[in-house]
Amino acid sequence: MEFLSKKDEEEARAASEIEYVSYEGEDHLPLIMGLVDKELSEPYSIFTYRYFVYLWPQLCFLAFHRGKCVGTVVCKMGEHRNTYRGYIAMLVVIDSYRGKGIATQLVTRSIQVMMESGCEEVTLEAEVTNKGALALYGRLGFVRAKRLFRYYLNGVDAFRLKLLFPRPDLHSPTSPSPSPYMRLD
Amino acid sequence: MADEAIMDLPLPERAPIPSGDHSVWADVSPLLDAACKDLQDGMLIHGDNFNLFAAMSALEIMDPKMDSGIVCKYYSVDEAIEDGAAPVPISSDRTVDVQCTIDIMDHLLACEATWHKGHSLAQTVFSCIYLLRPDRTSSHALLHSYCKVVRATCKTVISVVSDARTHEEEDLFTMSYGLALHGDGDDKCLSMLNAVEETVNRQLRACKAPSSKRRVLEDFVPLQNNLELEEAYCKALLCRLRFRKHFYHVLTCMRRPQGRGLELARKHIASCISELQCMLNSSEFLRSRSPGTHEGSIEDKTTASGCQAIGFDASLNCRLSAPTPPRAIKILSWKKAIEYFMKLLHDLDVICSYPLDPSLESVLHFVVEFQKSLPDLVARAHLQRLLVEDGKLYGRDPLFGVITRAAAVPDSIRNHDMQKHESIVYLGQLVINLLKILCTNSAWQRRKLGKILQDWRVVYIQLEMAFRKESGESTDSSNDENACMNIAQHILVWVEEQTYWIASRFLILGFELELYSQSEYCMVYWYIYVVLIKILEKKSLKMAASNDSGKRRGKKKRDSVKDVARDIRIPPAILFLQCQICLAEGLATMLAALRNERMMVQSPSPFNTEHERFSQHFELLQKACIPDQVSYPLFKDSTTHARLLNLVRYDHFKDAQKIVKEVKSSFSNNPEKSAELRRLEQVAEHNSIALNIISRAGALDPSLKVSFEFNHHPYLATAVVKRS
Repeated sequence: MEFLSKKDEEEARAASEIEYVSYEGEDHLPLIMGLVDKELSEPYSIFTYRYFVYLWPQLCFLAFHRGKCVGTVVCKMGEHRNTYRGYIAMLVVIDSYRGKGIATQLVTRSIQVMMESGCEEVTLEAEVTNKGALALYGRLGFVRAKRLFRYYLNGVDAFRLKLLFPRPDLHSPTSPSPSPYMRLD
Repeated sequence: MADEAIMDLPLPERAPIPSGDHSVWADVSPLLDAACKDLQDGMLIHGDNFNLFAAMSALEIMDPKMDSGIVCKYYSVDEAIEDGAAPVPISSDRTVDVQCTIDIMDHLLACEATWHKGHSLAQTVFSCIYLLRPDRTSSHALLHSYCKVVRATCKTVISVVSDARTHEEEDLFTMSYGLALHGDGDDKCLSMLNAVEETVNRQLRACKAPSSKRRVLEDFVPLQNNLELEEAYCKALLCRLRFRKHFYHVLTCMRRPQGRGLELARKHIASCISELQCMLNSSEFLRSRSPGTHEGSIEDKTTASGCQAIGFDASLNCRLSAPTPPRAIKILSWKKAIEYFMKLLHDLDVICSYPLDPSLESVLHFVVEFQKSLPDLVARAHLQRLLVEDGKLYGRDPLFGVITRAAAVPDSIRNHDMQKHESIVYLGQLVINLLKILCTNSAWQRRKLGKILQDWRVVYIQLEMAFRKESGESTDSSNDENACMNIAQHILVWVEEQTYWIASRFLILGFELELYSQSEYCMVYWYIYVVLIKILEKKSLKMAASNDSGKRRGKKKRDSVKDVARDIRIPPAILFLQCQICLAEGLATMLAALRNERMMVQSPSPFNTEHERFSQHFELLQKACIPDQVSYPLFKDSTTHARLLNLVRYDHFKDAQKIVKEVKSSFSNNPEKSAELRRLEQVAEHNSIALNIISRAGALDPSLKVSFEFNHHPYLATAVVKRS
């Protein structure tokens, strides 16, 4: 669902002027809809937007530059097959503001809240052609779990990306003794 | 609560509906009005059952992205016909009529290809008004016969695809309710098509005959009025009609049981391809007949002439019951449609030329190779139908026989009662399921392969328990019991080998689907390496057991793979596998060494570690304990000490090169294996060179950048060294 250009750390010149705001109510909705409508291929009805922002306002953030909304992230979380899972539905930064780390900032804020709310993992879908988004999520620790054949209405495949949060029991140092053929040194 | 509200409200003004025995009627308008007054701007009523799916299914009327428009030019097919949208004849000028008929044929072909490529039938082929009203065209033999064969072809294709059940793909593909897919007498479409073809053929012969002979055919009616154009129009029509005829034959031949029609199908495929070529050749003439219509490139047009075909309206079906997605779609161009059919026919030809080898290993290999050309749904559905029919391989070979052969069970004991055993029957189902999965698109295939690993694990345990129980129950050590134990051993080893094969396919498909990022290559190659080692182990065991059986039954098991490998003559199949193992091991080690020596740095992720990424990628393998005891700590332990210097000293890539040289001659009459060996050799050679450069210059030159590319092999990467 995301569309992002290549992030370039060096170009974060205006980044300090960007203000990040949590969703505050109906006034923010037209801003979000305007951005998403313009930048994403998939069309969403007003119901879809409201579904997300009314149920999980704490997972929705907007980025402003001198009063102008330049980016947004919309998410949800809930039970999914016995795991508590966060889901990033939409992430948009307008073209002229890309490459400044705004998307990373936005999505990091949402993921942080998900983690604190007890999510075990976060998922999302991204078009396979969206190199920018794939790189961004890769840096955040997402893995491409599946490819979804012709997922979008425009016929493009999607990746299902997944970020697994560390579980305390995963890191116990009980490793079986390695067999000799598996040692690669 | 509702009742109370009604009590408080003034009585409705309208006459109330009389109450029945079980119902009381009341006007709720005042209640609704009152409720609306309670709602402030921006407030929403949220029903618990209004979930994301409901929200996503909602359409916003007049939003151009969502609403493809219910208001179309015509409200019904009949209205469109009345308005002259699909006239019969298309024109009173017979030359124009022929020209327009050809355009309709071409546009239908483009629609058909678009349908095959994943759009709905209603929005593509059945956007043709002539198809929607089968009887109307009966006075127009050309159009009528063409429409009939198109309908019959669609029906056949739908039936193959729905039989094959290629999962999510066919959902949209096979939806056809509400469409006139079953015209009267469509089953006899070929006889009508033949008659029309014969007529056009006679017209062609007539116009080519010298004028003296023409007089003999006085009652003869030419195709159209312009004699100069007669030959070219006849030819353009003939190749189109003949293509349809042969294509329909291809489909029906391929559906014959036990692959009996494959040879004949190949002949029709060859004819189809040559007719497609003739169609391409006719486009120059057709374009010359419609000057001024080529605004925009001919490459985008849906007809050979470049003219818009008459009698199509995609929006009509919005009002029919056949589901159309809310978006308008783009029909493929005629050129692209021809390309599509060329590819489809080529893929079908590959299927038809397969000799129906009874060996499962060969079948699996064939399917994997076939998938490399990325065949589309229709071709894959045909392959699946050929492989699995009536629960047998090719509808011919019972699964128990296929399995015992694959497991190298000696011939003498293959016909054993064991085949009725519950777990063996289940194993047969798993094999069928595996074959079907291998015919699906790679995205779906990988997901299903990951899931069935668990089933294969379970069937192994079931078989092991069943065999143990059986051998415990039987008290006499009869020949029968020995045979049973013998089969059991063979089958168990084979099930394991097959399970690891599925695991390797699962891992390798990840490359094709681009699921791995460079920072994950190390763990992926390491995992491939451990899985390949397991395959080698099982394969060697199987081979040893089949060599041993009869001779040295007492010595059943060997302690290590390497013992087997050291046998005097190592079979080429094993050497081949060893070569792949060397490359996977070499790549995993090189990637680990590069990271350990900080030549390929990756910044840590803020939310998790490599451990979580390992768990995610290999979750399904780990759940099914494939292989046993393989875990993240083991991966860490075996890679943290990797160093470039050691790697140069013990170069896995050089080993691979040596094996290739050794094994090359064994595959000299197998072009496919030889080509694969050459690819492996190139990967080995390039990586060996890269490794030397990096180890010599790397420490001194910090600007050296190493990246990995797939320029020699689809999943074994080659290191590329550059100065940044």
